[in-house]
Amino acid sequence: MCLSKTVGHSMDKSITLPPDEIFRNLENAKRFAIDIGGSLTKLAYYSTVQHKVAKVRSFDTTAKEAPNDKLYEISVQEEVTARLHFIKFENAYIETCLDFIKDHLVNTETKVIKATGGGAHKFKELIEKKLGLNVDKEDEMTCLIKGCNFVLKNIPHEAFVYARHADSEFRFQTANPDIFPYLLVNIGSGVSIVKVESEDQFERIGGSSIGGGTFWGLGALLTKTKRFDELLQLASKGQHTNVDMLVKDIYGGSYGCLGLTGDLIASSFGKSATADKEFSKEDMAKSLLHMISNDIGQLACLYAKLHNLSRVYFGGFFIRGHPVTMHTITYSINFFTKGEVQALFLRHEGYLGAIGAFLKGAEEDNPNQYSWGENYAGSSGLMSVSPDMNPMQRARSGTFDMLEMDRLERQLVNLPLLQDPSSYIPDTVDLTEDALARDYWLYCFEDALDGVVKRAVASQPDIPEAVVRAEKFRQKYRHKLLTLRHQPL
Amino acid sequence: MAECVGVDSNTSGHSMDKSITLPPDEIFRNLENAKRFAIDIGGSLTKLAYYSTVQHKVAKVRSFDTTAKEAPNDKLYEISVQEEVTARLHFIKFENAYIETCLDFIKDHLVNTETKVIKATGGGAHKFKELIEKKLGLNVDKEDEMTCLIKGCNFVLKNIPHEAFVYARHADSEFRFQTANPDIFPYLLVNIGSGVSIVKVESEDQFERIGGSSIGGGTFWGLGALLTKTKRFDELLQLASKGQHTNVDMLVKDIYGGSYGCLGLTGDLIASSFGKSATADKEFSKEDMAKSLLHMISNDIGQLACLYAKLHNLSRVYFGGFFIRGHPVTMHTITYSINFFTKGEVQALFLRHEGYLGAIGAFLKGAEEDNPNQYSWGENYAGSSGLMSVSPDMNPMQRARSGTFPFDMLEMDRLERQLVNLPLLQDPSSYIPDTVDLTEDALARDYWLYCFEDALDGVVKRAVASQPDIPEAVVRAEKFRQKYRHKLLTLRHQPFAYGSLTVRSLLDTREHCLNEFNFPDPYSKIKQRENDMALKHYQRTVESLDALSWEDRQFALVSGVLAGNVFDWGAKAVSDVLESDPGFGFEQAKRQLEERPWLVDTYDQWLQRLKGPAHKCALFFVDNSGVDIILGVMPFVRELLSRGTEVVLASNSGPALNDVTNGELQILTERIAAMDPVLQAGLQEDRLTLVQSGSSSPCLDLSRLDKVLAMVVRERQTDLVIIEGMGRAIHTNYYATLSCESLKMAVIKNSWLADRLGGKLFSVVFKYEVPLGKVHHNGATLMLS
Repeated sequence: MCLSKTVGHSMDKSITLPPDEIFRNLENAKRFAIDIGGSLTKLAYYSTVQHKVAKVRSFDTTAKEAPNDKLYEISVQEEVTARLHFIKFENAYIETCLDFIKDHLVNTETKVIKATGGGAHKFKELIEKKLGLNVDKEDEMTCLIKGCNFVLKNIPHEAFVYARHADSEFRFQTANPDIFPYLLVNIGSGVSIVKVESEDQFERIGGSSIGGGTFWGLGALLTKTKRFDELLQLASKGQHTNVDMLVKDIYGGSYGCLGLTGDLIASSFGKSATADKEFSKEDMAKSLLHMISNDIGQLACLYAKLHNLSRVYFGGFFIRGHPVTMHTITYSINFFTKGEVQALFLRHEGYLGAIGAFLKGAEEDNPNQYSWGENYAGSSGLMSVSPDMNPMQRARSGTFDMLEMDRLERQLVNLPLLQDPSSYIPDTVDLTEDALARDYWLYCFEDALDGVVKRAVASQPDIPEAVVRAEKFRQKYRHKLLTLRHQPL
Repeated sequence: MAECVGVDSNTSGHSMDKSITLPPDEIFRNLENAKRFAIDIGGSLTKLAYYSTVQHKVAKVRSFDTTAKEAPNDKLYEISVQEEVTARLHFIKFENAYIETCLDFIKDHLVNTETKVIKATGGGAHKFKELIEKKLGLNVDKEDEMTCLIKGCNFVLKNIPHEAFVYARHADSEFRFQTANPDIFPYLLVNIGSGVSIVKVESEDQFERIGGSSIGGGTFWGLGALLTKTKRFDELLQLASKGQHTNVDMLVKDIYGGSYGCLGLTGDLIASSFGKSATADKEFSKEDMAKSLLHMISNDIGQLACLYAKLHNLSRVYFGGFFIRGHPVTMHTITYSINFFTKGEVQALFLRHEGYLGAIGAFLKGAEEDNPNQYSWGENYAGSSGLMSVSPDMNPMQRARSGTFPFDMLEMDRLERQLVNLPLLQDPSSYIPDTVDLTEDALARDYWLYCFEDALDGVVKRAVASQPDIPEAVVRAEKFRQKYRHKLLTLRHQPFAYGSLTVRSLLDTREHCLNEFNFPDPYSKIKQRENDMALKHYQRTVESLDALSWEDRQFALVSGVLAGNVFDWGAKAVSDVLESDPGFGFEQAKRQLEERPWLVDTYDQWLQRLKGPAHKCALFFVDNSGVDIILGVMPFVRELLSRGTEVVLASNSGPALNDVTNGELQILTERIAAMDPVLQAGLQEDRLTLVQSGSSSPCLDLSRLDKVLAMVVRERQTDLVIIEGMGRAIHTNYYATLSCESLKMAVIKNSWLADRLGGKLFSVVFKYEVPLGKVHHNGATLMLS
């Protein structure tokens, strides 16, 4: 009964990487994929995990031995399960990470690493040199869509609606087994609007050059602020009405017979055309943010209508983890569709490319034929980053984010007798939306933790180091509970 | 003879001294009779509209009372010049800076005091409300901006042929005008002002703002001002036209090294507007940033317009608003964007009078009781400024140079008759009257502009000679010369000023200018004399034709029409001969004609057809007075009547050159009928009918014909259309396809044109056509080119 091997045993080789936490199970890793974006690298690999599983077995009643007084026999066995690992870190750490991987990689059958993303060609040589693997480039959009299909199918509560002023900012959608067709609006430097009709069928039906790069580029020119995050922070403090010309600025009020309210933006930056004054950085950034979000929102709605699609997912660095842009996009979609279409966001949106690239490389393993489940123990949660907190938090957070998914041994499907699978919600109370209940249950689980630890130790009376492991469990679960108290999502 | 001097034409010139800056004789014309004012005050320009009446001299013909006891005069009929009052719409555009001067001027010249109200629209309407009320003593009645815009748009699309155009910067001709489709609905109007409004227009009274965007002209201006410190919109456009957007924008190739093939994105496509300024730590030039901004906004609007057009299944998309107005730079980027997003399926359309839409609409709102939409209106080329070709480089300078009072005008005459399509047009929506578009054919343009300038002296001389008893005719004729020469000069530089430049538009502009200076019918006496002369030969001509065998007679009849058509004062080669040899006659003309085979010769097929059953009814568009109508056309008509074919003779409503007018033809037909029992019977049995075409042009637009004509054509089940003469069958309608048999006959009386068509002077075009697939009663299917 050996110890489950974590990668922790040689952490001294790398001074910056947190032991026990990142690049887990590298020893058994095979099938690597990497997605290098403008600022973040996403690494994916497939690995196997040895786990102890408790098995029960009837005593052989036909056997000659006298039956034990127990009903059945309990044994602990080692079982190997498949796990997908996804790690996200800043491009600055790429070399350190590659070194670390090289040092820990045991499996030598791996010859190829799938790569995608705009930075893939930039780091190609480095990757090949460091890892000794051939970099095999995969189409970015194909990977994105593949990844998106995968998370939508395999992670319940993957998609959510954002509502800034609601009780709960994030309202998760129940996973609909039938995920197609949908519209994916990827807001990177520019915007790509992609209609996805099936696992292998998608089409870029539209796009726009007014995207994240435009916010960043115009924002930098207007405010002399060069960082994207800072621009968003500026925007969140600004008043767009100082820069934009509203309907009421032209008509004195609403333009009733056209159904335009007075507060509607008639012309973005319309006031700076003629007013001879200085405009604040905050106000200009806010006006720019509205201009771009509204434009993308309108385009998305028009394409959704034109192609008769009701599910519209937004992704890309403009959106990723930024409540400010999620809010403006949501607002715009509500405005243009009068609530008929909801803007949906994805918890693991940042991983889509890496997941897709990985899946491309793993096609012979048929990953799509299995069901997968998010491993809560090994996955970082969605960060609730208010624009004010974000940069500080980032500095603190160690900049690593992970997703681990376990392959389930059995394929999971709906109970055929469900009245309406698409509206079925297993849970009775959603604690994200019910603060009182949430407080109670978090307290309750914390309170029960001591007992659970005691029970765990008692279950393995013959194994002395069980006490140590039980303590580790206590720490991890308590940390999770703490996290959930602050970020219920 | 009652060619009296009428009251002085009342232009507004008589008290110009009251206003030092406004050009006399040119602006705010006919203010004395003005009523129903409307004003549209935009951000920088004011557009004023008013309705007025114009007194014009018109030439009328009248038979002498033959029953009267007095001995008949030696003249065939009496010509009189009468005063006629016609309605005209005036639209004037000027900069807001001049608004006070203009209001003063109007106040001083306004005679009609019944007007109590001025309709007002546009963002500036409330700002200037008090000023207008104080100055003019009128109540300002505000009208909804969008409603006015749409009303105005419907009006110009319906009433101005060649109103809409496609812009193509690098093509031979920058502006390609669209033929007016009588069915203008539904369409999409994308109005790019400060913001963008996208409006679906479904009928005269039904429109909906289906979309819009805050990224519009104000965004270009506002962001442009912030980025470049350039505060003027025109200057920003100028900057943009000099910039390189690729220095600021991130292209697909900047990200992927080339095209992104599997998504169909070319390398030069803009992936991210201003994408390079996000990370590059350098200064960007004003020009480059302005260009990038222009592309960003134009592409965005283009895409939105396309999506809304698709979503609502609309194929006609018109763009307007100050972002577009007169700016080739933005017309180009919008056009490019529309082409890109619809892969050419939708064309970006622009409007010549886009700047007037609001004023026109406000005016129409106020004039509803006059039912302006029940009439047909025509652009008066004499009183309208043309579309300005303003390259961004020239624009501000041009403006500065253009004098104390830069203004632009549009005048539209109410036509006395309502105009409709000829019901026999094969496909009214694709019908183009003009054979050659001179805006697209530089060689032809140069020739015709030269040709019309060259002929100007002769026209002036003729105009003076037509009013021998009026000494000041010389002065007016000189004014006419200046005006028309100026128009020709304008057209030389801006061929697209009035829509597609064509021989027809050159001829029509000349007629409008002659009318403007009270030369309503310079050829009236020549026509009178020639008609008189020709009548004397009618009987002999008919007798000699009757003596021929059937087959010989058919040919002689055709030759007669062709020879008659040589007598055309509009053709210089002929007018020179006619001036120098008044005795030039029918027989000489016949000898001038080209021998068969003619340049275009389907005579054999025509003859074959004549051997078959008679046509039910023939519609004959006639050309010149004198020999042409009397010795050429009438015997031909007589033969048709004898065959049992009914005949409808269509002639001009008003005078143009020596073309026979409906009034003249009435008299001539009576005279001929008096000596010809066949025609007499035809008239009495109502098998010969005279109708007016509704036109006063030497050319023929089959999409703008008198409503009565269309009705008669339909009632009589017309199955043959005959079009005669160079103006009607060659300059226009040469390629017109009809749903029934047609016969186009003309003699080419211009050596340049003859050369172009591969013939020579006096070459003959005889083009008999049968619509594809039409089987005749004699069983033969005629397939003719």
